[in-house]
Amino acid sequence: MKAFSYVDAANEKDALASLGTERNQVLAIGGGMDLLGMMKDYLVQPVRLVNVKRLDATIARTPDGGLRIGSAVRLIDLIEHADARRMYPALVELAEQVGTPQIRNAGTVGGNLNQRPRCWYFRNEEFHCLKKGGATCFSVNGENQFHAIFGEGPCHIVHPSNLAVACLAYGATFRLAGPSGAREVEAEQYFQMPDHNLYAENVLQPNELLTHVTLPAPMAGLKSAAYEVRFKQAHDWPLAFATAALVMEGQTVKSARIVMGAVAPVPWRANEAERALAGKTLSEETAGRAALAAVQGAQPMSRNAYKVRVARTAVTRAILKAGGMKVV
Amino acid sequence: MAEARQVPEVAAPAVAQGNAAYAWPTHPTYMGTDVQRIDGPDKVTGRAKYSYDIQRPNMLYGRIVRSPHPRARVVAIDLTMARQAPGVKAALAVVEPNAILMFQGEEVAAVAAATEEQARDAARLVKVQYEVLPPLTSVEQAMSPDAPKVFPDGNVREGAAEETGDLAAGFKAAAHVVEQTYNTQVQTHVSLETHGCVCEWDGDKLTAWVSTQAVHGTREGFAQALKIPQANVRVITQYMGGGFGSKFAPDAQGIICANLAKQAGAPVHLMLDRKEEHLATGNRPSAYAKIRAGVSADGMLTAFDAQTWGTGGAGVGAGFPLPYIYQFPNRRRQHKDVYINAGGARAMRAPGHPQGCFITEVLMDELADLVKLDPVDFRMKNLPPDAPDARWRAYFPIAAKLFGWDKRHPTGDATPGPIKHGFGCSANRWGGGGRGSHAHCEILPDGGVIMRCGTQDIGTGTRTLVSIVTAETLGLPIDAVNTEIGDSLYPFSGGSGGSTTAASVTPAIRVTAVKALDALKAKVAPKLGVPPADLVASDGRLHARNDRAKGMTWKEACRTLGAEPIAVDGEWQPGLSASGTSGVQMAEVEVDTETGVSKVTRLVCVQDCGLIVDKLTAESQVIGGVLFGVNYALFEDRILDRNTGQMVNPNMEWYLIGGPSDVPEITAHLVDQPERGVIGLGEPPAVATAAAIANAIANATGVRLRSLPMTPDKVLAALEQQRAGGTR
Ligand SMILES: Cc1cc2nc3c(=O)[nH]c(=O)nc-3n(C[C@H](O)[C@H](O)[C@H](O)COP(=O)(O)OP(=O)(O)OC[C@H]3O[C@@H](n4cnc5c(N)ncnc54)[C@H](O)[C@@H]3O)c2cc1C
Ligand code: SF4
Repeated sequence: MKAFSYVDAANEKDALASLGTERNQVLAIGGGMDLLGMMKDYLVQPVRLVNVKRLDATIARTPDGGLRIGSAVRLIDLIEHADARRMYPALVELAEQVGTPQIRNAGTVGGNLNQRPRCWYFRNEEFHCLKKGGATCFSVNGENQFHAIFGEGPCHIVHPSNLAVACLAYGATFRLAGPSGAREVEAEQYFQMPDHNLYAENVLQPNELLTHVTLPAPMAGLKSAAYEVRFKQAHDWPLAFATAALVMEGQTVKSARIVMGAVAPVPWRANEAERALAGKTLSEETAGRAALAAVQGAQPMSRNAYKVRVARTAVTRAILKAGGMKVV
Repeated sequence: MAEARQVPEVAAPAVAQGNAAYAWPTHPTYMGTDVQRIDGPDKVTGRAKYSYDIQRPNMLYGRIVRSPHPRARVVAIDLTMARQAPGVKAALAVVEPNAILMFQGEEVAAVAAATEEQARDAARLVKVQYEVLPPLTSVEQAMSPDAPKVFPDGNVREGAAEETGDLAAGFKAAAHVVEQTYNTQVQTHVSLETHGCVCEWDGDKLTAWVSTQAVHGTREGFAQALKIPQANVRVITQYMGGGFGSKFAPDAQGIICANLAKQAGAPVHLMLDRKEEHLATGNRPSAYAKIRAGVSADGMLTAFDAQTWGTGGAGVGAGFPLPYIYQFPNRRRQHKDVYINAGGARAMRAPGHPQGCFITEVLMDELADLVKLDPVDFRMKNLPPDAPDARWRAYFPIAAKLFGWDKRHPTGDATPGPIKHGFGCSANRWGGGGRGSHAHCEILPDGGVIMRCGTQDIGTGTRTLVSIVTAETLGLPIDAVNTEIGDSLYPFSGGSGGSTTAASVTPAIRVTAVKALDALKAKVAPKLGVPPADLVASDGRLHARNDRAKGMTWKEACRTLGAEPIAVDGEWQPGLSASGTSGVQMAEVEVDTETGVSKVTRLVCVQDCGLIVDKLTAESQVIGGVLFGVNYALFEDRILDRNTGQMVNPNMEWYLIGGPSDVPEITAHLVDQPERGVIGLGEPPAVATAAAIANAIANATGVRLRSLPMTPDKVLAALEQQRAGGTR
């Protein structure tokens, strides 16, 4: 591993002062659960690491009745937060499923949202793929069983973050702090497709930090849930998952936000499914129809057509679970 | 090119012939009971030092430069920059320019530096120029007529056809015929402790702390490769984190480590990382079988015709037994070894058997369905005759009762909803048996007992077994025995492969302990006025057989030795061990037909292993074997990129191994056979699990998976095909 310096930033201001403008030269480190692996595998060789665990690590009520989560909050803190669980169950359930207890004890919200892709071509040094500045995406004609079923490429990663999917479903905004102040970006605008940004997965600039996630107050009648499909039950990644945030009036869905994970280079919002649900009485059938709509535009690769079925199941079950109905 | 290294099969009788002088005790105190591992506390507290943990003064860390390409010619190797890197004390090329590298991970050069990190960094500074050559990346490609000829004697080596009976007549007698293709994946060993060693020279003498399954075999390996006398090599393996058949020799990394240590004039620690393990330290070959098999209307197997193939990687064979266990009176088989540019196979826990078992047992269920027989009834009709090493006729009913097999529904769970449950069964066999171990026992004047044997405890509990047998024989508590193993300075013992360790070592210990006791009895007898033959050792006393009072305590007896301890050598003798085990497994699964995810919920294993020495460690072997099988069934797969031939999952993130929440409820039912003597158990319980799970998935879903691992994509594809009106 290349020698690097380490800045133990006392606060946001110090941390920002230590960053630079060149990509992957100076990197923020939260729990290090992702970054250390990247460094040990020689995938990034930063000259400096900036500890961001001393940034805001609290979960606070906002004036409008939502929650504001500091980026240094650990996944375990989020999991154990009673208000968060009551108000945003999908977010907390997804945090609970991440990796292993060790990873959840060390991993932070900021790190989770900004973690790099797990594409095995990306993670193995032998493959100098598009995302690493090479000429090909090896997944296209290669081993793509865990790759994206949505998106036009040229890179076919699935976004790895569990929390990101819930953030979209709840309409979260992210606070990004940079050298010339802070900006608020909607979660949906934060993550970027590879045709817009091949070398990174979001709008964050090298000299910026994600400092807070703000979740709006739950609307009256909001019922939400997440459903993950995992093959191996621990220390593994979901094959596909979904969150459903339904605004209900009795058994009728007034409006819905359906977001899928592990299916596309960004958390994948299923607008068609949302439209299919709106105004409908919640039932196994309407949920199933919405799920079918959710995967309508899927373009599976040579080996991942099964993920279309898995994603569809995840959507159906997330909707039913949100509505308090029997899932299987 | 190298064949898979393996301990040769033991030709031993199925039942111990008896050995009056050293016979196993008929009413043992410890043997066959639950004895906890004597080194358990050392292991869980970290006091136990594995090869990985060895620290020597001025020790350096070695790191190997490996080929990133599955096939390449080495044009040049330049060590200059590496030699100048911080901390570097040695650097060497492993191959010469023009060498042809045949798999990703093949050793090219190596460095040793003061820290592990420096060694890693320096290794990256070795400049290797490769001419990349097109590789064979898959079995399909290697077998295609227009594949480049990569291996000097051809990419495919065709074996002689095996034929028995009259195939045509067999098919004529068949009422139903199944024609299908089956396959199993390449599985890597994933030993928790990786391969490697620490090497230290003292002049021309080498001491090596090696993670090995063969202390003496590895001594020989070092001597041969380094061209030094065996007497100059000492191999030590006190604690060892698993090998599963992949650790019988110093291997390339051991020799490289010794050479680096010599060049640096300092001890070198060279342990591989997980990626190197997956790439270069062996695997279980894949297996493919295209089979036509027939069954008569009344459910008797009539014919079996198979073309089989598989790959053991670069130049290594891929054999497996087929058909497995069941009797096909008329059969033919033609096998081909296919070579590709990937790491070579090595022996792996019951080499060949899980493959042969999976293929045959899935086929058996297909045939049973055609004749509408319960899978157990169908198997019972077609098993070989009962024999001491073939007890399936007895074990299927025992397993069925323990499992609740009578609650099995016919193929396809008719319960509404996406979650389906199913049962499956299968059977296994294995050899085991012992030979050739030596031991040395000392009884000291202060009452101390030392038992030495140059065997190794690869995690199975051998150290504990040595203590049990010694204590049992001398009538002492287990902790009164000082068991010393894992050192080539101790008496010879063979490699721990083929489930032969217990059956090799425990007879040697028994013989040696009896001899030592006899020597003590001879000293004590005149003092007690009892003939030596009438003396027995029990409960820490040496006394007359019929008069406990006429005797002395062990300590008093030993005190009569004066200054000269008893020191005797002994060796394995026939009559205390045998060969051949059988077992039956039954699995219950839960399959989500809307996600393709299968979960094994329950597994019953009925297994024999001759005389049980320690019930607790025996059960551990069964549980470990079943877990091995669950992983083989569902998760493990060495995945090579089809275009470049490079492995995409050389880690424990994407090379899946189940965790605690993936573990089924396991019932380990051991059948004790004291009359047969000790046999061995490491491998048998790992054989049948995947097949039982496959059959359970078919029973649950009504669709049959003929390919391992049984991942969600395969389950969903099979269900899809069924919905589309495909066959079965
Ligand atoms: C085996 C395994 C399984 C896993 N399974 C899952 C899973 O199922 N779902 C899931 O979501 N995750 C999973 N993870 C990933 C894990 O969730 C994340 O790695 C963890 O949450 C990251 O948090 P961290 O603080 O350790 O990140 P770090 O490793 O510290 O940082 C990750 C990245 O984010 C950047 N970063 C960190 N903080 C900030 C900040 N405040 N602003 C801007 N950039 C920042 C870093 O520079 C780095 O590039 C798994 C990881 C492993 C190893
Ligand atoms: S999917 Fe993206 S990260 Fe993976 S190989 Fe293709 S370009 Fe690289």
